[in-house]
Order: sequence, then C-alpha cells, then structure tokens
Amino acid sequence: MSEENSIELLDFYADWCGPCQMMKPVVAEFEKAHPEMRVTPINIDDEEELAEKYGVSTIPCFVFLKDGNEVLREAGVVPLKKLEKMWGKING
Amino acid sequence: MKEYDVIIVGAGIAGLTAAIYVARANKTVLVLESKIHGGQIINTFKIDNWPGDYGVSGANLMQKIYAQAVDLGAKVEYEDAVGITKKDDKFTVVTDDNEYIAGAVILAMGTEPRKLSEKQTKDAGKRAISYCATCDGALYKGKPVVVVGSGNTAKHEIAYLKNIASEVYHIHHDDPIPEPAVAVFVAIGRVPNTGFLKDFVKMDSKGYVVAGEDCHTSVKGVFVAGDCRTKSVRQLVTASADGAVSAIEAVQYLG
Repeated sequence: MSEENSIELLDFYADWCGPCQMMKPVVAEFEKAHPEMRVTPINIDDEEELAEKYGVSTIPCFVFLKDGNEVLREAGVVPLKKLEKMWGKING
Repeated sequence: MKEYDVIIVGAGIAGLTAAIYVARANKTVLVLESKIHGGQIINTFKIDNWPGDYGVSGANLMQKIYAQAVDLGAKVEYEDAVGITKKDDKFTVVTDDNEYIAGAVILAMGTEPRKLSEKQTKDAGKRAISYCATCDGALYKGKPVVVVGSGNTAKHEIAYLKNIASEVYHIHHDDPIPEPAVAVFVAIGRVPNTGFLKDFVKMDSKGYVVAGEDCHTSVKGVFVAGDCRTKSVRQLVTASADGAVSAIEAVQYLG
C-alpha cells in the first residue's frame, strides 16, 4: 500500500458512523496541512478484509504507516491537535 | 493568559447552546472540548425527537449547531480541562496546553459510558471492547459477541447485534466472559465527566454536579448544564434548555 519513505494515514470509517462523519473535516484539514502524506479512506463495509488485517475493533480508527509499517494508531474521535501531535512523534 | 467573559467546558448540545446565548449577549466566550464538538448525540444515526429537524442525524445536527455558535463569535479550543480555581471574582481554567481566565464558568461536560470492571477487562484479554454496538457492531458480522449489562441500553444493544453477529451472549456486571465471544459490548450505564472538578463544586455521590433548574452550582459564578447536572430527565432538548438557562444566568451574574 505504501511506497518507501512515505507516511500514509489509513482512515477506517463507515457511512452510517456519526463520529466518522464528524472526523471528515478534521482529516481533510490535516491532509491539507501535510500534502506529503497520503490519506487512504477505508470503508469497513466494503473492505472487511482490510479492517480485519489491521485489527480494527472500533471506528473511526486512524492508523499511521511509515514505509508501509504501522507506527501509531488512534481509535475514536480526536481533535486536529492530537493528529498533529502524532505527526510530530512520527517525524520527530 | 487569555481572558474571556465566560468559559464553557464541553462542546455537546448543552455547551454549544450556552455558547450561542452568551455570544448573542455580546460577551466573549471560549468553549473547551477534549475530543471533538458534538457530544454523545453524534453516535445517534437518526433523531426523531428533536423538534423541527425530524430524522436528522446526530452528527449533522451538531455540525450545524457548532457552525452557528462559531458564526456568532464563540471560540472553540480542543483542549482537555484538567483543573479549575477561583481567586477573588476570577476563575482560572487549566487545560493540558494552556490556562484561561473567565468571569463565569459553565460546566457542560456530559457523561461517558461506565467502563468495564477491572476483573472483566482482565477476563476479556485481547478481545475488542466496545461501548457502542451501532458504531462497531458491523465489524463482527457472523462472529460471536457478548453484551455486558442489564438495563435498557443493554437490551437495545442485544436486539441490534442479533441481526449482525452469529451469536449474542448476554452477561451481567462481573460475570465471566463467555469463551467463544470475540468482542465485548459494554452497556452498564453512564458516569459524569466531572473528575477534574475534584472538590471545587458540590457533587452528589455519583459525581453529578448539584444544581436545580436555574443551573446554579455551589460556587457563585459557576453554572452547570446538561447531562452532568443532577436531574431526572436527560434528553437532547433538556440539555439544550440547560444551555440556554445557564448562559442567561451567567450573563446576569456578570452584569
């Protein structure tokens, strides 16, 4: 899924999930601030296998990959500030 | 240190309604929220008892109310309130990132699901633990799950999961987790998010902030709105009503 030296954010969501809808503008703002990062939205209804592969047990769920390997994850609603802190940790 | 006329802790329906009223009274207002605005109702897919917007989703409704509050001048910061003190007639609210000063404070932190007991958490081991079947049920299609709890919420969670999971076990608080279950859905009530207040205001034995319909707490200048207040009916519309009352009272207090 990822290329070398890249950071990717897997955004596990569902259309019927209210907290996931609330996170959409937050993720969009985060993505805008970091154009070098790839954001991959994953609808768990269409991608059951991927959700299982990454052990997603609650949504929304945000999984950061660095060079294709998971480095951080957060489940549930999070403010932009927290995503930025996670970004800082990954790139720090 | 930034100073506001009113600081509201919590950006659910109570907090954001209060923010609308304070802003419209031409007072400066800061809303502090630890996660994301919207509160508990964002988990509800369809609301049939909010007058005027029949069938609206919780997320959609709260985005509209948030936009309204911000448009009217409310400032929202996503920081976790961790302490509050009073000196003379000013309040200092400490967050994980900053300190803010205000002439009045409105507490609107709402409630959160009561966590699984230590014993059952240990028993659950590596199984997933969820506090919302409608949010997470779809992740367990055709798999056995267990619901913990004995109230109405537990009954609703069981009915919902029966259409998804291969088997839905039902246990009570502190029963052992059935071996085959791959996920544990917890529905054992809710607790108020009032921990950071410590002994700052009077609370009941369950941690709800004591106040009547006027939303006045035991501390002059501190008001409480919504589900974290002692009350008998906790609905979206009553939380919103508390927001209005607390804001009007706070503005009157400030003079």
